[in-house]
Amino acid sequence: MCRAGQEPGPHDADHDKNDKTPHAAFAALLEDSVEELYENAPCGYLSTLMDGTIAKINTTLLDWLGLEGEAVVGRMRFADLLTVGGKLYHETHFAPLLRMQGEISGVALEIKEVDGGRIPVLVSSVVKHGSSGEPQLIRTTVFDARERRAYEQELLRARKAAEQARKEAEADRTRLQDALAVLQQSLLPSVLAPVPGMEAAAHYRTASPDRLGGDFYDLFPINADRFAFFLGDVCGKGPQAAAVTSLTRYTLRAAAVHDPDPVSALTTLNQVLHERYTGDDPRYCTTIFGTLDPDPTTGQVTVRLASGGHPPALVLRGNGKAEFLPTPGGLLVGVLPAAAFSATTTVLDPGDTLVLYTDGLTEARTSGDRTALYGEEALLEFAAGHAGRPARHVIQAFTGLLDGFGDGLDDDTALLALGVPARTPRTEAPA
Amino acid sequence: MDIERRNNVTVTGNPRGRTVVLAHGFGCDQNMWRLTVPALADDYRVVLFDYVGSGRSDLSAFSEDRYASLDGYAQDVAEVCEALDLRDAVFVGHSVSAMIGVLAAGMAPERLGALVMVAPSPRYIDDEGYRGGFSAEDIDELLVSLESNYLGWSAAMAPVIMGNADRPELGEELKNSFCATDPDMARVFARTTFLSDSRDDLKAVTVPTLILECTQDVIAPREVGAFVHQTIPGSKLVTLDATGHCPHLSAPEATNEAITDFLARLR
Amino acid sequence: MNPLKTTTRHAPTGPVLEISGDLDYTTVGELRALVTALTLQPGQRLVLDLTGLEFCDSSGITAMIIAHNHAQAAHADIALAAVPDHTLRVLRLVGLDRIFPLHPDSDAATQP
Repeated sequence: MCRAGQEPGPHDADHDKNDKTPHAAFAALLEDSVEELYENAPCGYLSTLMDGTIAKINTTLLDWLGLEGEAVVGRMRFADLLTVGGKLYHETHFAPLLRMQGEISGVALEIKEVDGGRIPVLVSSVVKHGSSGEPQLIRTTVFDARERRAYEQELLRARKAAEQARKEAEADRTRLQDALAVLQQSLLPSVLAPVPGMEAAAHYRTASPDRLGGDFYDLFPINADRFAFFLGDVCGKGPQAAAVTSLTRYTLRAAAVHDPDPVSALTTLNQVLHERYTGDDPRYCTTIFGTLDPDPTTGQVTVRLASGGHPPALVLRGNGKAEFLPTPGGLLVGVLPAAAFSATTTVLDPGDTLVLYTDGLTEARTSGDRTALYGEEALLEFAAGHAGRPARHVIQAFTGLLDGFGDGLDDDTALLALGVPARTPRTEAPA
Repeated sequence: MDIERRNNVTVTGNPRGRTVVLAHGFGCDQNMWRLTVPALADDYRVVLFDYVGSGRSDLSAFSEDRYASLDGYAQDVAEVCEALDLRDAVFVGHSVSAMIGVLAAGMAPERLGALVMVAPSPRYIDDEGYRGGFSAEDIDELLVSLESNYLGWSAAMAPVIMGNADRPELGEELKNSFCATDPDMARVFARTTFLSDSRDDLKAVTVPTLILECTQDVIAPREVGAFVHQTIPGSKLVTLDATGHCPHLSAPEATNEAITDFLARLR
Repeated sequence: MNPLKTTTRHAPTGPVLEISGDLDYTTVGELRALVTALTLQPGQRLVLDLTGLEFCDSSGITAMIIAHNHAQAAHADIALAAVPDHTLRVLRLVGLDRIFPLHPDSDAATQP
C-alpha cells in the first residue's frame, strides 16, 4: 500500500532531493491528472444547473454524443440529450425523485448520438448543496450500458418466449380438457329414459378434470312394459379405462335387448371383456345390471338385478328405513372365462327408492389417513335419514354428502336413484 | 360494479367543501398529488382515483378496446363522478388527464363545473401550423421503447428507493407510486395518450378553465399552453416559474397557490 | 404412505412372494413386473404372503388377477396367505375370495 506521503520519514527524505513525493511520482509515471481523469474517464460526467441547463460536460460523454462542448454548455438541458421515452421518464420520475431525495442512481435511460444512434446508459445524479443548504447544482454520471442492455434484451426475449410457450401450453390444456369432457359425456346418457310411474335421478362427479373417469350408468326401455338400468365402475382411469367403459356400456345395452335376464346380461359382458382383455393387461369392471317391471294397477315396480363384484344396492323404504340389497359372490366382470353372478329381486312400493352408487362414495377418506374410509355402515345410516323422499331429493342429499368429503374424494363417483313416488304427494319442506 | 373499488377512489378533505377531483397522468397514479392534497384539504372535499390499469385500480377491469381511446378514460371519470353523485365539481387533470377532463365534462356537464389543466397537451405530435414538441418519429420511438424495454421502465426505480434512509416513508410511497403500473396496460395508455389529437374538443369547453404551464417543459412546450389558452374561450393561463412537466411536484407552492386562487374566485 | 417391499423365497411347493407396505397405483407397477417375470413349473403353487400388506386398492387387486392369470398360463396354482382384514373385505366384495384359495399363513399355504 502506498502511504500517500502524509508523514515524511527518513525514507521519503531521500526522494525530496528530486522534489517529488511518492504520490506525485506515481502521478507523473501515469501521466495522469484530475483534469485528465475528469475529461477522459471511462464514464460520462455532467454538471447542470437546478433547471437542467448543462454547465459542464466531459470529453467522454461529448464523444459518445458526437457533439462539441460549445454546442452543449449553456445551450442544452440534460433532458435534451435523451430519447423521447427518456425525456418523459426524466420529467415524470427522475427529476421529481431527485428533487425530493437529493440523489438518484442506476436509472436506465437512452442518450441520442448526433447521427441518430442510441446508447443505452445508466444514470446517477446527486444534488450539490451550498453552505447554507440551498441546492446549487446537479452532478451526474453516465455509464455505457450497451452490454448490459444486450443482456437484458436476451432475458426479455427469453421471458417472452417462455410466456408464449406457457400460453400455448395453457391453450393445449384447455383443448384437451374440452375433448376429455366431450368424451366423458359420451360415456353417460344425455337423458334418463322416462319410466311410467317412476322418478329417476343421477349424478356423476369426476375426481379430476384431467382424467377420464371409469364410472358409468344408464336407464333405457327394453320394450313398452320393461326397462333396464345399470351402473358400474371400470378399473383404472384414463383413455384405456374409457375405452373399456364404452365397450361395457354398448355391450350391456345390446345384451339386454337380446336377453334381459340380469345374470344373462352380465355373463355376456363377462365373455366380451375377458375375450378382449386378458393375460398381463386384464381389464374388468364391477357392475349392477337390473330390470324394472312397473305394475300400473298397484303402482309397484318389480326389480330384478344381478351384481358382478359391485357394492350392494340400497333400498330406501317409504316407511323411513333403509337396507342393502345383498348380492353375495358376484365376481368382478371380465376376470375369468366363466364367472358366477348372483341375482336378487325386490319390489318397490310407492315411496320406495332404489339407489346405486360406485365405491368412490364408500371409499371416500374421512380423515387425512387413507385407512379411515366412509364405509357402508355410515352410508346406510345416512340413507335412512332420507328414506321416503323422492329420487331427486335423495340424489341432492347424496350430492351434498359428496361435497362434504372435499379432498377426501379420490375416485369418481356415480349415483343413480330410481324411485316410485308416494301415493299421497307429501308437501316437501322448503330446503 | 363497484366503481369506487375499481378506480381505487379516495375521498378526503373538508366534507362540506366544494369537491375537487385530482386526476393523474400517464405512468403515474394518485400519489402524484401528495403535495397538492394538503393545500386543498382544509377548504375542499378532495377526490383521488387511479385510472383502470394504473396504480391500485382493479386490473381485471382493464379492456384494451375501452382504453384504446381517451373516451374510455373519460368514461372512468364520468363513472366515478356518478358513483359519488358529484355536482359541479372541479376537475384538476395533469398532462393527458387535462384532456380527459375536457371529454368527461362533455359527457357529464352537470357533474363537472370547472377545469384546471396542469401542463396539458391536446396533441403531442407536430402538425401543419402546430408545434406539439414531438415528431411522429419521436412518438414511434417512444412506443417501441415501451414495447421492448419494460425491464428498465418499471423496475429501474426500485434500487433508488432503497437508498433513501432519511425519509423511508417517502421511499415506500414512491415505490408504490412509480412501480405499480402494469407494463402491458401502460403501453396501451401510452399509445392512447401520445397518438391522441383532442384539439377540436377544446372549443367545446364552456366551463371556467385554468391552464397551468411551466416555463421549461420538454413534454408540453409553451406554444402548446398558448394554443390551449387561445382555443378554450375565456380560459385563464398561468405560467409557473418551474421546469419540467410536473409543477405540482417540482414547484408545489406556486402550483397550489395558482389552483387555490382560481378555486377561490369561482362563483 | 409406506413403500412397497417384496421378498421372493422358494418353498417345496413353489415360489412364495412376501408383499409388505402399500400396494396402490404408484407401486403396483413393480409388483406386476416381478410377478410376470416369475418362472412357474406346471403343478407348482405361487403363494402371495400378504402379512405385511398395509394398504391395497383396486390397482392391487389387478396385480393379484395378473398373478392369477400368470399362474394359470403356466398350469400352476395360486394361493393367498395371511390376507389382512381390509383387503379381505375388498376380495369378498368383488367375489375374488371364491377364486383365490386363502390360508391363514404361508406355512399353511405351502403344505403340499
